[in-house]
Formats: sequence, structure tokens, C-alpha cells
Amino acid sequence: MITSIAWKNVWRNKSRSLVVIIAVTLGTVAGVFVAGMLNGWVAQRINDVIFTELGHVKIQNPDYLVNEQASHYIANISELEQYLKHSKDVVAYAKRSKIMAMASTARGNSGIMLKGIDIENEKNVSGVYKQLLPGSGSYFEENSRLPLVLISSKTAEQLRLKNYRISNHTTDSLSMLNVPQETISKLTPIKDERFITRKKFESAIKGLWSDSEIRSYGPHLMNTAAYFQPNAKITFSFTKANGQIGYLTCRVSGVFKTSNNLFDQTSAFVNHTDLINAAGLQPDQFHEISVILNPSVKDIDPFIKSSSNQFKNLSFLSWKVLAPDAGLMADFIQVYYYLIMGIIFFALAFGIINTMLMAILERVKELGMLMAIGMKRKQVFSMIMLETIFLTLCGSMVGMVLGGLLIKITEHTGLNFSSVAEGFESVGWAATVYPAIDLSFFFGIIILVVIVAVLSSIIPARKALKLKPIEALRTE
Amino acid sequence: MKVIEINKLNKIYNESEVKVHAVNNVTFDIEEGEFTAIVGPSGSGKTTLLNMIGGLDIPTSGEVMVGGSLMSSLKGADLTDFRLHNIGFVFQAYNLIPVLSAKENTEFVMRLQGKSKKVCDARTKELLKAVGLGERMNARPAKLSGGQQQRVAVARALASKPKFVLADEPTANLDSKSTETLLDIMEKLNREENITFIFSTHDARVVKKARRVITLEDGKILSDVRKNGGE
Ligand SMILES: Nc1ncnc2c1ncn2[C@@H]1O[C@H](COP(=O)(O)OP(=O)(O)OP(=O)(O)O)[C@@H](O)[C@H]1O
Ligand SMILES: [Mg+2]
Repeated sequence: MITSIAWKNVWRNKSRSLVVIIAVTLGTVAGVFVAGMLNGWVAQRINDVIFTELGHVKIQNPDYLVNEQASHYIANISELEQYLKHSKDVVAYAKRSKIMAMASTARGNSGIMLKGIDIENEKNVSGVYKQLLPGSGSYFEENSRLPLVLISSKTAEQLRLKNYRISNHTTDSLSMLNVPQETISKLTPIKDERFITRKKFESAIKGLWSDSEIRSYGPHLMNTAAYFQPNAKITFSFTKANGQIGYLTCRVSGVFKTSNNLFDQTSAFVNHTDLINAAGLQPDQFHEISVILNPSVKDIDPFIKSSSNQFKNLSFLSWKVLAPDAGLMADFIQVYYYLIMGIIFFALAFGIINTMLMAILERVKELGMLMAIGMKRKQVFSMIMLETIFLTLCGSMVGMVLGGLLIKITEHTGLNFSSVAEGFESVGWAATVYPAIDLSFFFGIIILVVIVAVLSSIIPARKALKLKPIEALRTE
Repeated sequence: MKVIEINKLNKIYNESEVKVHAVNNVTFDIEEGEFTAIVGPSGSGKTTLLNMIGGLDIPTSGEVMVGGSLMSSLKGADLTDFRLHNIGFVFQAYNLIPVLSAKENTEFVMRLQGKSKKVCDARTKELLKAVGLGERMNARPAKLSGGQQQRVAVARALASKPKFVLADEPTANLDSKSTETLLDIMEKLNREENITFIFSTHDARVVKKARRVITLEDGKILSDVRKNGGE
């Protein structure tokens, strides 16, 4: 009965309650959405770390960690493979040979880690093959006498293989975007001219377009004007196993771009056999194995422990160790969500307290009467507390539904932060965020709301308890 | 049988510079089934006396016994509980919970006592009919006239069959017609249910309806008159 009175009391002063409810709703929507974004962002980063860059576990010769030399390969590989094949936890693994190389073209060069892979099996472990830029070629499917290499967009830029040219295709695509004809025609002087770096192209555009034009149409122009030199050749030079300098000349098969610039800058992929032939390695000499574990394995550490025990001469490292930023985020993300919600509700609590105090001040005589006719202080206290909880819960329920909907809507389209995210991408965090949220977070919010409501009802409820029935009832 | 025994009751207010002896050495008993009016000019101590009888105020000295138990021995939740189970209250105003219907207001005390819905339901209907509000059971107080609201308050005070009902100027805010109706209803319920009523009033017409009239002046009993057979 007290519950139903409390509920009815919430709606006694509709406009005042609605103000609080709306404030709580907005706060909850904001909190849920920000948490959703954070969550999506972190999940994406973790996903990239595991399924593109590292795998769950990376196995290496411990010496290789100290000195990335070709001679520090994994020694007892067949035994290790037997173990991995029979482990229930392992879904897939990929072996890679690695060698530090200098990549050179006629116009530029860049240091790089050349990774020799089994082209087909690599797909089971790393999603790089899914991240080729459109128009850049294919995943090792080009026809060529030369060995094929997969390089990143960043590397292509450094090697001056990413060029810029304003072609008919570029101007067509600009006019499709409703760029004013006048703006497009300003580009005529440099039509079909080739710029071998982004810098040079940008400075040419700066001479032709106004700042506001660059701001509005620049990014799109950059994208459509860029192209990769077809059939480009790269020569890699490196120290062979015997200490001599070796060379491997490859044709670019395709260009990839992941969300991690650092990974992109340092990785190029070739066929394992091509690499060992050029570097004078043996076919069974590999430098790392990336392992993908069963999704049911929630905690990686036991696997690492038991594996390390079996292969004491090898190093087993989890992705959390290799990508500490993502690892830390994965471990502490929950804390962040609740911190955000906590701060929002802390601010809202002041509004809630104020409203409840007003509600009690208005009802002094009624509360006095209730206590006079036999309602215990405990019951008055819980009535006020329930009112506060209902008031807060109402707003946060609506807020959770709306916030959830907002996340559902943006879940697939994502939110693009590329204008501010260049800095993030360079350390591996995606510029487009796909919000996502766990159902458990909503339960967490409900618990949080109840805690906040209980805490913020204490002051008003105590105020009500201080009332003395006769004084409250005295008619003036 | 004595329902209330009051012995040398005093209440002195010390708050201001001048001491106010609001109730001064008052002694009297109330028998079961009595229909008593406490009358007297404004400031004569009627409210103070009723509050002490109802356990809402603490005497400076003297004692109030209700059903044989000493009121001043009770404190806090026990006192609240005692009021809940033994005394029905009707105030001058602010009697009802605005968000509850007439019926819900009437059964409120019984529900606080933990009586079952079925018991409450039957009793509430019976009482609301008795006070002439059988048709308005689902109306909220704001939809009822002042007189009707006081009738709901009387129904609530009686609902749990308390030892006695205290009513401090129940008709002060009512017109003469509603005053008469309310008093008739109170009188009828007093007779039918044999529930003891004590009420205070200024109103001569109300005084006429009482079967016992205790007159106060400056906190002292000036007269205590029992009439035989009502009016
Ligand atoms: N809380 C209080 N503090 C100080 N004096 C009080 C207090 N309550 C009542 N009094 C005084 O006690 C005396 C009796 O007051 P009381 O309210 O009992 O009179 P009453 O007969 O009910 O008057 P009325 O007919 O106006 O309701 C008055 O002089 C009043 O001023
Ligand atoms: Mg009075």
C-alpha cells in the first residue's frame, strides 16, 4: 500500500516530476550512449588487435624478443605444431618467418618487417586479406613472374607509390557530390598531372582552392584523386642467414589499411617460400606463431601457463601483454562505464534531492496527519524513499530505452570521427566507432540508479522524520 | 467501563517569556460509549487537552490512562502503534491523503494495521454507506465537498473500531448544514457501534448534540454536565 501511495505521489505535481524525469532521462541517454561508444571502440580495437595484428597468443623464440635476428627461429616447431593441433583451446594458428628489410623503389625507401606467410592459412588467423583498399589489387592473385608482396597504404605513401591525379573520374565524382561547377573548374590547370606525394598535391590544391572549399571538399578530393601505381615493383634488401646481403624484388599485389598505423607501417607480407629462398632460410624456420583460441576460452592465462610448462624454451605472450593499451582497456572498461554513469547521476542527485525536499515541504501537514493516525516513522521514511526511487527509475528507464535505441541505430552505420581521429589511428584506435553495449550494463545502471535514489532520498526523508505530528498539524 | 481516566493533568508552555498554563490540573473520566463535547473559548486549552489524550503531546505532569494503560509510559514507535490500534482521529483539516480515493482513505488505518483486503473492503463499504457516501467511494478528496471530506475522515477514524475517537473541531470549516449532517452521522455511529466520541467545538449547535459537555476556561474545568437522553 505504501508502495502504491509513493507511486501516486510521484505524479502529484506532474510538471515538477517531469522536469526531474526528463533530466534523468537525458543524463541516462548521454551516459548509455557514451558508454556504448566507448565500449564499441574498445571492442573494435580488441578485435583488431586479436584478429588482424596479433592473435590471442604469440609464440616466439625468447631470443627473438631481444634481438630480431633471422637465426632466432622457433626450434622444435613440429613438436609445437602437434601440441597446437591437439589442443582443444586452439582454433587456428599461423606460422610466419620474419626478416627486417629495407624496402626501396625508384623514389623512396622505408624500413619494414617482411613477413613470410602461408597465404591460405594466414586467412584463418589474420583479417588483413579483408582490408585491402579497393582498386589497389588483390590478395596474392595477380599474375606475375615476380614474387608478390602485400604492403600497407602507409608504406605505399612512403615509397611514393601512392600518387595523386585529377582525372575525369575525379571531377565526375566531385560533381556527383554536388560540388559547385565553379569550384571543380578551378582544378583544370592541374588536370591529369601526377603528384607523387600527398604534400605536393595538397600544396597544389591550396593554390587553387579557397580555405573554405578545402574544408568542405578537400577530404573527398584526396580520396578520389589518390591512386596506387599499377604494377609497382619494390626491392627488399636484408641480411641473409649467412651474413651476406640478400635481395628480393617483388611486385605489389595489393595495398591494405588496418586501423593501426603502426602495424601498417611496419608490416609487409610475402609468401613464406619466396622469403626463405631469398634469405637462405630452411623451410621449417619460422619466427612466430599466432594462435587463435576458442571463443569459449575467457581467460587466456591458463593456456599460456600450461603451454609454457610444456615448451620451456619458447615464449608465449598474450595479446594483452603485446598490446598493453588494449589489454588495459579490456580489463578496466567496466570501471569507466560506471564512472561515467556515476558522475552523471551524482550531478542529477542534486536535482532529485531538491525536488523531493520541495515535495515534502508542501506536504508537512499531510505527513503530520499520517504520523498522528499511526503511520510509523519507518513507513514514512520508506514512502519518501520509494517516491525518490520511482522518480529516478522512471527517467532512467526511458533513458535506457532511448540510449539503447540510439546505439541500435548507429551500431552498423558507425560514427565517423576521422576529422579528429588522425591521432588515434596512428596508435591503432579506429576513427569510425560502432557503438555496442552489453545487456549486463543496463542491469548495472538499474542497480546504480537505485543506489543513487536511496542515497539522495536520505536527506529529504530525514527531513520528514524530524516533523512532529502536532506541530505539523497545527492550523494557523 | 472507563475508557479514559485523566488525573491531575497539567500542561505548561515555557517557550515564551510568560508561562502559559494551557491545561491546569484537569481530572475526569470518560465512560465507554459516551458522546462528549469539550467546549470553551479560544485558547482555553481544548486542543492541548485532546492532544495529550491522543498521545500526540506530552503532559507536564499528571496522567492519562487509556483502557487501563498509562499513556506516558509509551514512547516512539510503541506510542505510534498504540494510536494506530486504539484511537481514531478526526482533525479540523488535512485529514485525507489527496492521491487516494474516499474508499482507500477510509481503509488506510486498517491497512496500516495489516488487516486483509477482504475485511477492509466490507467494512469500508458499510461505513461509507453509513456516512452517506456510498456513491462517491472512488472519488478523490479534491472532488468532494468539505463536509464530505470530514465524513470520510469520520469513517476512517471508526473503520478499525478504536477504543475512542478524538475529533478536534471537526466542524470548524463547515457550513451549518454540513455541520448538522456530520454531527448526526457521528451521533448515529456512536449509538450503533457504541464507539466513544470526544470532540471539541466552539459551535453552540454542536454542543446541543452532545450528551456530555465539559467546559474549559483558562485550562481549568469550569463545568461537566451530563444530559440524559441526548438533546
Ligand atoms: N506550542 C505551544 N507553545 C506555546 N503556547 C501554546 C502552544 N500551543 C498552545 N499554546 C497556548 O496554550 C493555550 C491553549 O491553547 P489551545 O490551542 O489548546 O486552545 P484551544 O482551546 O484549542 O483554542 P482554539 O479554540 O482557538 O483552538 C493558548 O493560550 C495557546 O496560546
Ligand atoms: Mg484548538
